[in-house]
Amino acid sequence: MNIPLSTTTINRRAFLGGAGLSLGSAALNMLMANNSTKPRYLLPKARAKRVIFLCMAGGPSHLETFDYKPKLDQLHNQPMPESFTKGQPIAQLQGKELKVQGHLTKFKKYGQGGQYISDYLPWTAKMADDIAIIRSMVTEQINHDPAHTFMNTGTAISGRPSMGAWVNYGLGSEAEDLPGFVVMTSVGGRNPQPIASRQWSAGFLPSRFQGVEFNSTGDPVHYVRNPKGVSAQDQKKLINTITALDRHRNLTINDPETDTRIAAYEMAFKMQTSVPELMDVSKEPQHILDMYGAVPGDGSYASNCLLARKLAEKGVRFIHLYHRGWDHHGGLEKYMDTCCQLTDKPTWALIQDLKQRGMLDDTLVIWGGEFGRTPMYQGKGDIGRDHHIKGFSMWMAGGGVKGGIGYGETDELGYHAVKDRVHVHDMHATMLHLLGIKHEFFTVKHQGLDWKLTGVDHSHVVKDLIA
Amino acid sequence: MNLLIPIALSFLPLLWTYAKLDFNRDVRPILSDKCFSCHGPDEEGRKADLRLDIEEHAKDDNMLAIVEGEPEESEVIFRIHSDDEDELMPPPEIGKPLSEKEKDIIEQWIAEGAPWADHWAYVKPEWTDPPMPKNSDWSGHWIDRFTLTDTENKMLVPAKDADPVSLARRLHFDLTGLPPESKTVKSFVKDPNPTAYKALVDQLMDSDHFGERMAVYWLDLVRFADTVGYHGDQPHNISPYRDWVIRAFNDNMPYDQFTREQLAGDLLPGSSVQQKVASGYNRLLQTTHEGGLQLKEYDAIYAADRVRNVSEVWMGATVGCAQCHDHKYDPYTINDHYSLASFFADLADRGFTGNKLPTDRPPEIQIHTDENSLKLRDLTKEIDHTLSKKKQSELKNLEDRKGKLSQSLKKAKDANKTQWQEKIDRINQQLAQVAKPAVLQKYRKLLREKKGVEDKGRWTMVSQAVKPRVMRVLPRGNWMDDSGPIVLPAVPEFLGKIDSDKKRLDRLDLANWLTDTEDGIGLLNARVLANRIWYLLFGKGLAPDLTDFGGQGTPPDHPQLLDNLAISLVEKDWNLKAFIKDILMSRTYRQASLPPNGYKSFQLARRLPAEFVRDNTLAVSGLLVDKIGGPSVKPFQPTGYYRHLNFPKRTYEEDSGESQWRRGLYVHWQRQFLHPMLKAFDAPSREECSAERPQSNTPLAALVLLNDPTFLEAAKSFAQKISTHGGNTFETKLTYAFEEALSRAPDKYEHETLASLFTEHSNKAEENWTPIARAVLNLAETNLRR
Repeated sequence: MNIPLSTTTINRRAFLGGAGLSLGSAALNMLMANNSTKPRYLLPKARAKRVIFLCMAGGPSHLETFDYKPKLDQLHNQPMPESFTKGQPIAQLQGKELKVQGHLTKFKKYGQGGQYISDYLPWTAKMADDIAIIRSMVTEQINHDPAHTFMNTGTAISGRPSMGAWVNYGLGSEAEDLPGFVVMTSVGGRNPQPIASRQWSAGFLPSRFQGVEFNSTGDPVHYVRNPKGVSAQDQKKLINTITALDRHRNLTINDPETDTRIAAYEMAFKMQTSVPELMDVSKEPQHILDMYGAVPGDGSYASNCLLARKLAEKGVRFIHLYHRGWDHHGGLEKYMDTCCQLTDKPTWALIQDLKQRGMLDDTLVIWGGEFGRTPMYQGKGDIGRDHHIKGFSMWMAGGGVKGGIGYGETDELGYHAVKDRVHVHDMHATMLHLLGIKHEFFTVKHQGLDWKLTGVDHSHVVKDLIA
Repeated sequence: MNLLIPIALSFLPLLWTYAKLDFNRDVRPILSDKCFSCHGPDEEGRKADLRLDIEEHAKDDNMLAIVEGEPEESEVIFRIHSDDEDELMPPPEIGKPLSEKEKDIIEQWIAEGAPWADHWAYVKPEWTDPPMPKNSDWSGHWIDRFTLTDTENKMLVPAKDADPVSLARRLHFDLTGLPPESKTVKSFVKDPNPTAYKALVDQLMDSDHFGERMAVYWLDLVRFADTVGYHGDQPHNISPYRDWVIRAFNDNMPYDQFTREQLAGDLLPGSSVQQKVASGYNRLLQTTHEGGLQLKEYDAIYAADRVRNVSEVWMGATVGCAQCHDHKYDPYTINDHYSLASFFADLADRGFTGNKLPTDRPPEIQIHTDENSLKLRDLTKEIDHTLSKKKQSELKNLEDRKGKLSQSLKKAKDANKTQWQEKIDRINQQLAQVAKPAVLQKYRKLLREKKGVEDKGRWTMVSQAVKPRVMRVLPRGNWMDDSGPIVLPAVPEFLGKIDSDKKRLDRLDLANWLTDTEDGIGLLNARVLANRIWYLLFGKGLAPDLTDFGGQGTPPDHPQLLDNLAISLVEKDWNLKAFIKDILMSRTYRQASLPPNGYKSFQLARRLPAEFVRDNTLAVSGLLVDKIGGPSVKPFQPTGYYRHLNFPKRTYEEDSGESQWRRGLYVHWQRQFLHPMLKAFDAPSREECSAERPQSNTPLAALVLLNDPTFLEAAKSFAQKISTHGGNTFETKLTYAFEEALSRAPDKYEHETLASLFTEHSNKAEENWTPIARAVLNLAETNLRR
């Protein structure tokens, strides 16, 4: 595997910043020093170089996407058997009558693997052989905010690093003039889930590893544009003056941080050009725009998928896209239509585009929400489903994942994951494994403890998902 | 590290020996990190029934794990050197192998007789007479005798004193978070009187900005923020608590009282309004207002949050780690965790939902500015003077009855209306008899006026004890598991217990115990605090892990100095100003940072904290409005930054006028989306306790200083100031700019470089100082405390 930081260009150092917190920099320093002793957590081989995580915030229903249960239709409208729900956590249906809600769509088998995929996802169905569907996901948090935090950081307690920060901490960034962890959220659809910037926090890792939000409208990165009335030339002159004066003064005061700061200013200036250029998709060929369904500058999920590909090309290590409209307590049919129309085709296009550029092989794409939805009916304005954490579906593609397979099963009503259960920590372990990281050894000391993304309990790499 | 000086013995080339080992410094950290997770305090995770964290167990005759003076008899030594993967310790699959050096240390320690000592942080500090350094001329201050001895032992020379300009700037930033005025620096530099330094210290400690500076740190510790944190991240009412903290530091409230008022201000006898405001501490945690929350689950989340914070702030301990099982490294049990949580079980902070802004989180009280409090007092007097209390209540009764009758009249059928009207007329007659119309009119006017003033009050969350809910130990932290035993409030068992006849201890007992230097952990607490103040004044704690004094934290470099500091803090009756001043008067504090090789300084140069980066720029530019306290303010912020917030959706409405130019500590603290400027300069989101901020140095921070409208406005204002007050020539103006921003004159190179920026800039409006103002405000040195 290509260890990205084994060469130490000054610019790359600059983005990564200065001394930062001493506790976090150990792993990187080791890499940066071009040291022959590789960190213990690095596996001999990596299958993926980067991750594109497509977060369907709000929790898409597994029962209307990937998990077909004929029994659910048979028991439709009948009381939910108590054997399933007794003693289980429950969100908005607390104290309500629990009855079975049959599928709100039809399923067919697709691809050589014969994967069940619902009619809501015709484009995903076309690429059934590219993706590995996990139908036995479980998480530990039933409300949105902590469930997102759990999905991203492996715990519901605030202040821990997000997986994108972890991955950059472990592998460094390959991007010359961009952050290694980029986050984008899309506009459009229904009333969106709130998403906290905690979701892309560096937690106790040095803040240089935090996700940087790229905006498709307004300034692509905060303060990346010159102030009004200041030309690029003037700005350049100003930055040159600042760095010259800093360099000069530092001959007297000898602050080692000042060198890093000078490099940060130089990089800031580069970003002022490179980021707006990158975020402008108008120069993409029309057929590519059409493939995604992207309109330059619209801030849509389609545009973000296209940008994700561009970021991947630039070497960004972790690209996290949020689409926030999947919390269907009611009006599920209508809103599934909305969400799927906005996301299904662009997701397909992203996979195809990566594939045609030969990038799917080393780009791991992960699709899923923070949880699934109940087999039980909820009626908050038309038929819907409540939050559900004991069994739901996600998929992975590319980056060494075996396409065209299904993994794991829920019970006959889609409630509990019963076969080949995949805990969120297992998903993290698998993702890290594909990136060439042995998760058990991938630790950071904080408050005296060795923290892992994959938690304290035994988590396992799902080997069956790997090609 | 430097304390372990390898002595190479030529006849024993394979064995390294070290100067005599210290158990706490050299050995315990290895045992803790590599052994305790399976052979430590956690009963559930313990392997082979072996404990290495307790001397009697480790040296048990049956186990022979450690045999004093006999490495070759000790099972531990055999195991750490074993070639057999099944026997090797630590087991390879754990991924924490011992280094050769660590093995040698363990071996040498056992050979030396395996002397044991209690963990340093759990032993009460003891006073050590300061050593006598060789160079007795350097300083007589007791702190200096420690630091100089250490410097001499390391064969180094103490760094020179900081130059007076740096020193004046250092004092200003450390004590007020604001830059000095150039005239202050000038007169300090010129003043030959050796008492000038002390005078400056006194002046700055008396400034109201001292409280602001200290509050910035305290608010990080207690995770003060303006919003709830989870899900919709709605604002809540709490800013008066922030002002209470500022005032407490300015009034030099002793730290024990400071602790009591925050943890239990509501429980103090005759609790004042300000003490109730202080008890808002217990409400600072993150809360959720998400629909579909499970009450029991959040009871558990909030309880754990409080345990984490109270233990990190006042104990320097991570008791939060014992939420699911006994602590792996420290003697905190899962019972201790829930017993500590139980102190807070009287707070009914639960079950708030809804999308109101600000959100409802009763109990809250309304407080008023001093001015308005006086107004209210006067108005009340005048009201009572206008109408006797008796008549007021008579009037109120009549009006209430009239109100009800009017309602009935409205609802009544036409046939019955007359009947109701007659009743109302009778009331009206009675009303007329209460007082003359003119009096009544005046009375009503005064009432309206009073209400107008009252409405200006700020609400703030407070603590209020209710019947405590039942607290159980939650096995593995699982809130759905009711099988654990019920626990009452108690302090961690190994630290003793609170002697009381009470049936149930309360938060006041806890606060007293935390600061009680005889029967509580006051002295341990003092060590935690002294270490943090040292960090604020020097840039690094004497014990480097500011929130973990446990077995996994790094032991202090200078344990005796730290102990003495803790004792001196207690002997000063927790007088923080006196304690800080004592340190400031040392020569160690006055050392130059960044000394050349061969010199030792305890001072570290560092970039200003986020808030002070803002304050410094605003102060230099002349825009700063340095009012103390008040509601949080909303400076310029990128459009759409809150677009991810929902329930309800939010648009950020920036303040106008003076609120735009307030200090950083008053900026609205949105936990989920902290102002990007504060975030870029490493301010924490305040979701959890934060005792030490990282110091990053990124392009995002550079972009803030370059392009954030606040900084641009400041540069324009600074340019205006330079043009107006900087004299008549380019030279005088540039000197003025440097003196304002850096407290010094520019040198030749700086002069030439900026002159070229001045002339070559394309915007040639007759005299445009904005580019130079921007350059100067962006300099590393402008934002550096050294």
